[in-house]
Amino acid sequence: MTKKGNKFSLFLGCTIPLKMPQLEKAFRDVASILGVELKEMEGVSCCPEPVSLQSLNIDTWLTLGARNLAIAEKMGLDVLTICSGCYETLKTVSVLLGEDPEHLKKINEILKKINYEYTGKVTVYHFVEILTQPEWLKKMKSLTIKPLDDLNLAVHYGCHLVRPSKIMRFDHPEKPEKIDLILQTLGAKTIDFATKLECCGYCARLQEEIGEKLVEDKMTELCELEEEVDALIAVCPACVTQYDRKEKIIARKTGKELDIPVLYLPEIMAIALGVDLEDLSLSTRSVKPNKLIEKLTT
Amino acid sequence: MSEMIKKNANDLNLNFRYEIAKKVGAKSLLKCIQCGVCSSGCTVTEYVDLQPHRVVASCLLGLKEEVLSSNAIWTCSLCHRCTERCPKNVDYSFILALLRNMAAKEGKIPKEYSSTVEVIYDNGFVVPYTEGMKKNIDRRRERMGLPEIVPPNLDDIRFIIDETGLGDLIIKKEDDK
Repeated sequence: MTKKGNKFSLFLGCTIPLKMPQLEKAFRDVASILGVELKEMEGVSCCPEPVSLQSLNIDTWLTLGARNLAIAEKMGLDVLTICSGCYETLKTVSVLLGEDPEHLKKINEILKKINYEYTGKVTVYHFVEILTQPEWLKKMKSLTIKPLDDLNLAVHYGCHLVRPSKIMRFDHPEKPEKIDLILQTLGAKTIDFATKLECCGYCARLQEEIGEKLVEDKMTELCELEEEVDALIAVCPACVTQYDRKEKIIARKTGKELDIPVLYLPEIMAIALGVDLEDLSLSTRSVKPNKLIEKLTT
Repeated sequence: MSEMIKKNANDLNLNFRYEIAKKVGAKSLLKCIQCGVCSSGCTVTEYVDLQPHRVVASCLLGLKEEVLSSNAIWTCSLCHRCTERCPKNVDYSFILALLRNMAAKEGKIPKEYSSTVEVIYDNGFVVPYTEGMKKNIDRRRERMGLPEIVPPNLDDIRFIIDETGLGDLIIKKEDDK
């Protein structure tokens, strides 16, 4: 629950609804089972994407972000994001403009010319933030149909969810535990490992080798652990894509056997909450989660 | 490690540090004590020509040209560990974004960055969503029972991009075609 209740304006972003709608489907199924009420945001644009837009012009980035927040403000609702990039952009825009009324005024001068205004009344949440509140965890536990008891899961938090903490204010920036908490509530065991907080490298665009090295390091560590890891769980479409695609490429290049499936957190939640596996299109992943599914269905 | 450079004091841009620090979020630049914590935790530290603490030192020394043409400012993976761990609260993430903005103004933009802006200018989204692409996406969403996408008014998006000064970049690209 927040000050404004259980109802949120849902900010989908671009990558999830346009490229990976199966992730959106999983999240909507989870929200509907738990009773989180979602309102569609019509006419929103890209958040905009934090890497290139912010790099080329901070003001363009802030103004496009403020336009999206203005739409939520008009709906009288707070924003719920399901992608770490959108979360970083919209949360940063809301915090920076909240602290700098002069800047907000300048941005509104532009927005008013296209009939928008943002007065700073929107709070931006990531769904993990909401669902780790005690009453939601309790509800989640009571609605679990297929407990994840036999699973050993590794969590990838990704960078933009937790840092910089002075803006994100989400969880501990170097020892976060909220995603682990959700998975434990659903019955799974989550592990600690050395590269847990390492970046996926998706945003290091200039040199492909940076991402490959980071993915190789993390996946190699997970494969060499004594107890077998059933899946890597992430909350950002970029991280999911990065690990899923690069894992196969690296395995081919190095001859290493890297075959840990990568799931988006709402996908594994949906399974636990009883959503039909057929509805989740998990077979579209490069690394098929066959072993995991077998474990869950026998 | 980058090569040693020799420069006359007269050739240093002593105003560079203040050019950066006048932006609200970048004032922290002036507090750096060169401890190197940022560089020791940096995800891309072994791939850059200037490590984070040296980028900051170069800004303070007035080596504007060297900083703006270094690969360090664009190689960053945006993990924000530097900002998180700095004992003096130097906001390196924001300073770096500002340096990229400055380099962009001088036309020094890697194509990996500029192409994204063009896609947003043309679609309102960072993923192409016109004609054939739109049809395929809509069909796929419908099959999954997902609601229809209501895209933004592109005139609004282009107005913001133009008005905030990024439009010049797009126009330059159009001219190149």
